[in-house]
Amino acid sequence: MNGWTGNILRVNLTAKTYKKETFSEEFARTWVGGRGFAVKILYDELKPGIDPLGPENKLVVALGPIAGIPAPNTGKAVVAAKSPLTGFYGDGNLGTRVSEQLRKAGYDAMIIEGKAEGPTMLYIEDDKVEFLPAGEVWGKGTYATNDWIYARYGKGVGVLNIGQGGENMVRYAVVRSLEGRAGGRPGIGAVMGSKLLKAIVVKGTRPIPQADPQAMKALGFGDLKTVGQTDKKTGWSIQGTTAVLAWCNEVAGLPVRNFRKTHHADAWKIDGERLNAARVATYGCPNCTMKCGITIHDREGRESELDYENVGLLGSNLEIFDLDQVGSLNYLCDEYGIDTMSAGCTLSFYADAIDHGIVAGDFKFGDAERAKELLGLAARREGKLGNLLADGSLRMAREFGHNSEAYAMQVKGLDVAAYNCKFIPGQALAFGVAAIGAHHREAWIITFELKNTTRDSYGPEKAAKVIELQRIRGGMFEFIVACRFPWIELGWPLDNYPKYFNTVTGLNWTLDDMWKVADRIYALIKLHYIREFPQASRKGDYPPAVWFDPSNADTEGPIAGKCLDMDKYDQLLQHYYDQRGYDERGIPTRVLLNKLGLSTEAAAAGKYAKLNQEFR
Amino acid sequence: MRITVKLIGPLIYEAGFSEKVITLPGSATAGALVARVKIDKKRPTIITRNGKAVELNDTLEDGDRVVISHIYSGG
Repeated sequence: MNGWTGNILRVNLTAKTYKKETFSEEFARTWVGGRGFAVKILYDELKPGIDPLGPENKLVVALGPIAGIPAPNTGKAVVAAKSPLTGFYGDGNLGTRVSEQLRKAGYDAMIIEGKAEGPTMLYIEDDKVEFLPAGEVWGKGTYATNDWIYARYGKGVGVLNIGQGGENMVRYAVVRSLEGRAGGRPGIGAVMGSKLLKAIVVKGTRPIPQADPQAMKALGFGDLKTVGQTDKKTGWSIQGTTAVLAWCNEVAGLPVRNFRKTHHADAWKIDGERLNAARVATYGCPNCTMKCGITIHDREGRESELDYENVGLLGSNLEIFDLDQVGSLNYLCDEYGIDTMSAGCTLSFYADAIDHGIVAGDFKFGDAERAKELLGLAARREGKLGNLLADGSLRMAREFGHNSEAYAMQVKGLDVAAYNCKFIPGQALAFGVAAIGAHHREAWIITFELKNTTRDSYGPEKAAKVIELQRIRGGMFEFIVACRFPWIELGWPLDNYPKYFNTVTGLNWTLDDMWKVADRIYALIKLHYIREFPQASRKGDYPPAVWFDPSNADTEGPIAGKCLDMDKYDQLLQHYYDQRGYDERGIPTRVLLNKLGLSTEAAAAGKYAKLNQEFR
Repeated sequence: MRITVKLIGPLIYEAGFSEKVITLPGSATAGALVARVKIDKKRPTIITRNGKAVELNDTLEDGDRVVISHIYSGG
């Protein structure tokens, strides 16, 4: 089976056993890899209602046919599990050498079950799996843990690890890799921690099966070079993703003060220009020639690697405009292994709740030193406040009451990325219907929305654009497993990706074939959702209520007096459902599920929630 | 007329400045501004005037704030 190893490694931490399982060509062609493999495996193997932090949850690490192959930005892996933050399927991707090493070891995915007796590190080398004690680094951060691993095995191995946040099951703990930051915003690091799994180390020595390795080598290395040249020519990586901050500030789309404001006069102090000027190093993921990890010295003199989401949510959203202090907050999140984005939204919600007199507390917007302390409390789950912060903004809001959930900036429990959609309805929809909660990686349509439509329209073209980008970004890039940046940032043609896919698999797929897989994945994630939340309604696809609140409208600037309109948003949401073939609750119909080849999965979901035959 | 122009990301390094006030003849267009700051007209993916998107042939007015950006599909 060219393009796939055809094997999945199943590890049971409770029994300290492992086995190599094979999968069929049909499975490979139906789900391809990455997010596709993860969503299918977890749907089949997890019972609804299980505790995401219990031993019955499973952690999946999944790769795709071009993962680890030298070609533009293929050094990525998908990590997935039932999310302790959102309560249904959750995943994320991160740059890591595990991508290449696990494939060279002979696997396209691994499933980790059970719970270890004590802190454990898994060491995988080809057919060998070792369960090693990790007590020495339990309680330590991700940098120290990574150093400890590199000292034992050298820097060529693939590493996934967790920090104190994962160990203490912070609901937004991430999986870390020093070869490419972090992934798994919906608490996949907490799932690792719940299993007492501190780290996974992978080394592989075998070739990855490919239909035409020579052709792929020539194509992949050539394109890596071209992408690198394009980056240099365009200057994209001078500021990388952080260029977005100044632009969002100009178009009233920046999160400021828990998304209460959309721009700020001091935003320039933390923008891409300042970041580039403060740069001390640049890091990138494996197989990347457009490196975006701009690294600065933080207030304490440590190296801290920043991107736009970090700066937006730990900086402007907390009204912290000292770049080195933003660097410190980012460093702490990385060291503790917690999601910078949810951490930023949780802290901003807490400051907002205090500001509105809902709770008493000593944290104010702009207080970087107290923010550092609060991150530590959360990572250690120290005291009542630490536990509240560790559970994330939505659970905090439910604890605080007084309608504070309206300004917990999340959808389905996952905190909103750093785009303030107070008056950007299409992007608000993109967050509302993102498969796993308000993630930015699936559909980002703000440029389209401002340029190709009017900002205040709620027309079907916006829903169509969301679907188009979900298929590309949340679909194809997540199941072939590659970084979307060459396409979204440099305009690298999408047609190249079926070309890579076909060269390694020997198949003859087009982009339309990719979209079919993407639609199948989106539908199955929805089935995960309704299996866990059978009473779910379209309200689950609503963005935060505060964006609809006229009293929260800007008082000056480009969108003064504007906010989202709920009736019109509902119409836009219906456009999305109609175009997707979902019913009025946002659930795929049986007709659609059958068309996508998901009749068996529909039957399983039908035991828990009503599925309609057709929509309308 | 006086226009404040703000450049985003890599365009700053292409044009050699980040933000400045430029004097243009009356009825100048966004395209004329792009040419004036020596940016290839194919480079901007979106230009905004006082926070709203404009096309290259749209006319500017005295006191406008124009932002020229390369951003296509965001992070």
